[in-house]
Amino acid sequence: MPAVQETIDQVRQIDVDQYKYGFETTIEVEKAPKGLSEDIIRFISAKKSEPEWMLEWRLDAYRRWLTMDEPTWARVNYPKIDFNDIYYYAAPKGTTGPKSLDEVDPELLKVYEKLGIPLKEQEMLAGVQKSKIAVDAVFDSVSVVTTFKEELKKAGVIFMSISEAIREHPDLVKKYLGTVVPTTDNYYATLNSAVFTDGSFVFVPKGVRCPMELSTYFRINEKNTGQFERTLIIAEDNAYVSYLEGCTAPQRDENQLHAAVVELIALDEAEIKYSTVQNWYPGDKHGKGGIYNFVTKRGDCRGKNSKISWTQVETGSAITWKYPSCILRGDGSRGEFYSIAVSNGHQQIDSGTKMIHLGKNTSSRIVSKGIAAGVSENTYRGQVSAHRKAENARNFTQCDSLLIGDKCGAHTVPYIEAKNSTAQFEHEATTSKISEDQLFYCLQRGIPTEAAIALIVNGFVKEVIQELPMEFAVEAQKLIGISLEGSVG
Amino acid sequence: MNMQQAIKMTAAETALVDAYTAQIGDLPGDGSVLSVRDTLVHELKTAGLPTRRVESWHYTDLRTLLRAVPTADPTAFADRVEALVAGATVLSVRNGHADLKGNAPEGVTIRSYTDSLLDGSAAAGLAVLGTDDAIGRINGGLVRGGLELVIADGTELEDPLEIQLVQSLGQAHTRFPVSFGANTKATVIERHLSTNAAESLISSVSDITVGEGAEITWIVLQQQGAADTHLGQIRFDLAKDAKLHLFLINAGGKLVRQEIHGKTSGEGADFKLRGINLLGGESHTDVTFTLGHNVPHTTSTEIIRNVVFDRAKGVFQGKILVAKDAQKTDAKMACNTLLLSDDADLSAKPELEIFADDVQCGHGATVADIDHTQLFYLMARGIPENKARAMLVNAFVAEIVEELDDEPLVEALESVISAWLEKHA
Repeated sequence: MPAVQETIDQVRQIDVDQYKYGFETTIEVEKAPKGLSEDIIRFISAKKSEPEWMLEWRLDAYRRWLTMDEPTWARVNYPKIDFNDIYYYAAPKGTTGPKSLDEVDPELLKVYEKLGIPLKEQEMLAGVQKSKIAVDAVFDSVSVVTTFKEELKKAGVIFMSISEAIREHPDLVKKYLGTVVPTTDNYYATLNSAVFTDGSFVFVPKGVRCPMELSTYFRINEKNTGQFERTLIIAEDNAYVSYLEGCTAPQRDENQLHAAVVELIALDEAEIKYSTVQNWYPGDKHGKGGIYNFVTKRGDCRGKNSKISWTQVETGSAITWKYPSCILRGDGSRGEFYSIAVSNGHQQIDSGTKMIHLGKNTSSRIVSKGIAAGVSENTYRGQVSAHRKAENARNFTQCDSLLIGDKCGAHTVPYIEAKNSTAQFEHEATTSKISEDQLFYCLQRGIPTEAAIALIVNGFVKEVIQELPMEFAVEAQKLIGISLEGSVG
Repeated sequence: MNMQQAIKMTAAETALVDAYTAQIGDLPGDGSVLSVRDTLVHELKTAGLPTRRVESWHYTDLRTLLRAVPTADPTAFADRVEALVAGATVLSVRNGHADLKGNAPEGVTIRSYTDSLLDGSAAAGLAVLGTDDAIGRINGGLVRGGLELVIADGTELEDPLEIQLVQSLGQAHTRFPVSFGANTKATVIERHLSTNAAESLISSVSDITVGEGAEITWIVLQQQGAADTHLGQIRFDLAKDAKLHLFLINAGGKLVRQEIHGKTSGEGADFKLRGINLLGGESHTDVTFTLGHNVPHTTSTEIIRNVVFDRAKGVFQGKILVAKDAQKTDAKMACNTLLLSDDADLSAKPELEIFADDVQCGHGATVADIDHTQLFYLMARGIPENKARAMLVNAFVAEIVEELDDEPLVEALESVISAWLEKHA
């Protein structure tokens, strides 16, 4: 069909070099020497003025990491990473931790302005922004500023960088850190445990509904640095929090490593909503450069009737290796995973989720939409399991893939494991290209091909977009458009 | 973990290697055949049986599950049994030895596979499918007999051919290279039975090539004893416009792994897999399927129905691969499971691996208990619960049997199923 041919031609010419966040900022930085050793870890820990137990925790993880092998089971190919050729600590000079906005280097503020991230509280309050979002801005290895801290404090919500939390709320951190993703979990999580530099810490106490959306914005700026952030979110009984995460990096020829760990803990009747728009630099059209995004995200529905929902829009990164999961431990708990993964150019995505049903009457829902274009590889890998005692576990999974062009690949690898007769699992997956019927109906109504494809792709991902907070939904839709430019007007 | 270290062989691994060493002078074939056998057994010795770290054996850790191997007993005797369907031509293989007595139907040439091992012509076919092909390895190392069938172009067989494998005890390793010529029509029943409760280990590889325009129905009916290990493999290759309807029933065995690996090599080829797994007791049954849609315009559908009772464990792994230029592929796979006991266990991994864009591929998987509303409706009509349950389970699997367009065959299979359900439900 000619319309389809046209699309394929368009996709062929796709220029993936349209990453608009690829600028680099010259800011004086302080770096630890390249490479990884116990000394570097001591250096990081000292920089952060951490207590002794934290250093021990890191060293333990490091020693274990040395005995581990890099995982090779994912459908991604990349040259071996030299973990000694990376800077594990880079911080804008003079930054020892987040402070008030007035003290932040104006150069840094400009970066976030350029990225469209609101950091100035007064502007937001003055109604420049439609709604209030508290932001924790992480630049390379450190958090440079956290906004609305005072206002959140009044509500009882603790929102600060994790380094700050280790100093100010050591008991809370000690109680929860590593309880969802233990230091022994996997190669990258263990590495992260040893060298994590910053990230966000959120604690919502009993009965509190967090008054605004919280968000962290990650930016890798320095060359040859790895970003290892650690996020820990705890919602106590009956608490609610919605958290957004965004990320970008400059355009560079070499690959950079991003290995984060995110831990969520929801106690009785609590709800955590975690949304990500991941837009790390994907590399150029020849597959040069880009971020290696090896992330461990896991939520623990520890309390009864608790709920954790992950929503992700993955458009960036050269390689994505990421499986936001839910452990449904509490009776009646619920896990949700909504994902859009768009790959173009030479990107490789191996992403999905795990829903581990342990408690009674737990339920989970997975909606995954993969769109592959260019010469990219897009894999959904997911696991749904019901344990012996997980009575009435319920899962619904839908994963659809859309292929644009004949040089890309879309793969689905679900693992379904039921050990309880009351479990009810449904899984369906489809792979297809844009339906010629749908396209035909649009064209017949005078909608040009490109607009029609955009319309169809938007319809394809709508279910997931709807789960995003408003501000993110708009950004996500735009991003998908940009990522597929040439094939979706 | 360091995997480079030489493995410490398990009892079963030692027994398999020993079985080879003990029979080495006696196993048919020398020269090229012997050299392939040597390699395979050497690989078995160095790599060991697969563990769950080998992705294709993720849910069936053969190294742990296969605890012991019964010794081969060359003197064991097994009787022929009656054909499944009246009128079928029975090709009897007892305790691994093919019996060539009796007449072959017109157009069918039958040869003992042992002869092909002896004259070396079987050597090429003994190669494994990949480093994870443990069944190919065990079978290739130890195979003694089987049958080689050639069905001449244009042959249409009215009555089914029944390859009847009867086992009393010990081991049997058999192979069946079967080549269907162009435009042939035939139904083959591959039937695995045991005559007693004694333990046995079976490995069997059927290598099926379907010629242009041929329409073949191949039925695998596995009814081995409750102590038996069954390692089965079906390989197939479909030429242009060839149609293969593979029908699989597992209704026996303690440790069962049934692999199906096929590819479409000609446009217009169509493959249909229907599987019924009746699992009870302490059994572990794994059906692993891969299909390569290698050329454009080929179609396939797969439906697997599992019924899991008691402490049984069921596994279904299905992988559909669509090659780069295999446009217009249409592939659909479904795996539905009735999990009827809290001690039972079912794992499914339906995979799609797609490199062409103009395709329609999908898979579905469900796991659930009997629908309580359906049960309620039946009981409201005065049907006692156990009977109502039996009816619903029966309906769940019978649906697929009825797709076979052959009344005596449908009846025979249905009675196998109801007999099994009566015993276990």
